[in-house]
Amino acid sequence: MKNFLFLVLSASLLYSCADVSGALFAGGDGTYDFKNVHLDPKFQVDESKIHLLDLLSGEEDTIYALYVGDFAQIATDTIIVFLHGNTPSMDSYWQTAGLFSNLVEKHHYGFIMYDYRGFGWSTGRSTGEESMAADYDAVLSFLQAQGLTSDRMIVVANSLGSLPAGPAAAGGSRIPVQKLVMEVPQSTANVIMQNATGLSLPASMITSYKFDLGQNMEDYTGELLWMHGTEDAVAPIETAEAAMQKYQGAYYQEAVYEGAGHGLRWDIGDDEWSKVVLDFIRH
Amino acid sequence: MLRKTLLGALGTLIIATGCTPTKVVVPLEEGQWQIGVTQGRAQIEDWYLPVYGGYVAQGMSSSKTNYAGIQFSSLLLGAIQLEAGQVATLVPQRGWKPGISYSYGAQSFLSTRDYAFRLYPEAGLNAYLQRGPHILNASANTWVDPTWFLADFSRGQILAPSFSAGYRLRYKWFEAQLEYKILNPTREIHIPQYYVPSTAGLGGRGFFYGIAINF
Repeated sequence: MKNFLFLVLSASLLYSCADVSGALFAGGDGTYDFKNVHLDPKFQVDESKIHLLDLLSGEEDTIYALYVGDFAQIATDTIIVFLHGNTPSMDSYWQTAGLFSNLVEKHHYGFIMYDYRGFGWSTGRSTGEESMAADYDAVLSFLQAQGLTSDRMIVVANSLGSLPAGPAAAGGSRIPVQKLVMEVPQSTANVIMQNATGLSLPASMITSYKFDLGQNMEDYTGELLWMHGTEDAVAPIETAEAAMQKYQGAYYQEAVYEGAGHGLRWDIGDDEWSKVVLDFIRH
Repeated sequence: MLRKTLLGALGTLIIATGCTPTKVVVPLEEGQWQIGVTQGRAQIEDWYLPVYGGYVAQGMSSSKTNYAGIQFSSLLLGAIQLEAGQVATLVPQRGWKPGISYSYGAQSFLSTRDYAFRLYPEAGLNAYLQRGPHILNASANTWVDPTWFLADFSRGQILAPSFSAGYRLRYKWFEAQLEYKILNPTREIHIPQYYVPSTAGLGGRGFFYGIAINF
């Protein structure tokens, strides 16, 4: 069966210009059952402040976003823009939404996250830099229309989310990024290829998606918090660190945890995670 | 499941670009041709997923065989991966004392997207024992990465070794090949979100199969 699927894959890749970037995205189904019953007691939210949004991304795709807070808050308060990792949908980050919604106190900060194309209910297919940038811009366009300004926006990128967050921070965001949290980020497309082969092969051998967070960080001038675990097997710390060290901006903070893996927050605990993030936000 | 298979295949293909099966262990007879197809089955998590290649070899003398090959799987992903080289007898087999052959050649990769090019010279040694149609071999091979400095963040390595053991049935016009290979055991191999079985935490591993016709 696997051989058959492989042959089908091979044929479809050949037919579809043989670019594997689409295969890197683990989008899937979502239920969007965002209710308190699924949250830890300490992360409970006011259910009247849970808003599921559908936003136009590019010319024909619709992406879904979850906003937790009052819409009026967007024009006056700090808003967390969360770019989630490589799971089928933002369902997996409902606890994260609850945590952010309870930083300091309940609904102190507004919180928004969204599903990339092909994730959850979002239509279309994520294919690389262009689609990821368009999805991010759709969310920023909404926030900008609601009155969000650069000085009140915190971008938090988890793993895969670092791929669109990097170019956004480097100048590709309609609301300039001044505070960025990179949690267990990847580094470059080339590194993924080179870590898999042990050779100096560029990513262009298999994909046209050439993300380079090192270059992005070099171009980013706002404030940066980098969080990582030393035992991260998905985004190896050595290369993530090398990318983050390209940063030469205004303020840099790092939190590296011995023995922690890619599920950093689960490994270090909510209290430690929240403390570090809050310290950075308030800096 | 399809997604899992898709990503597994991607991982397999990526690993496969780092190592191809040993084409010829015992040189062919002078003037003899061999055309074969190979299937690599590098291990990702607990699956073995196939990658395909093809090659042609010709016995230039009784002790030297030239070969050239192509990796079809790399081609599907947009990289033209070609290889060529020679296998030559170093020490002929004497009775039960194994023979030794050496190989040298190169692998080349050309991206069809941006025409990036990489060339990796390679060299190897094979110890073999041939009894009738049966050939047992143990091999060590290394690719040389002359562009190691082009790896991001200075993480390149000059050598990419592999070690293998295999069995070949060379019977008249037909040859079947089975090989177990430890790939690049000098560094950690990572594929995002997938576990790559290793040897003492380093490298990858997998089975390689081949069938060929001789004429």
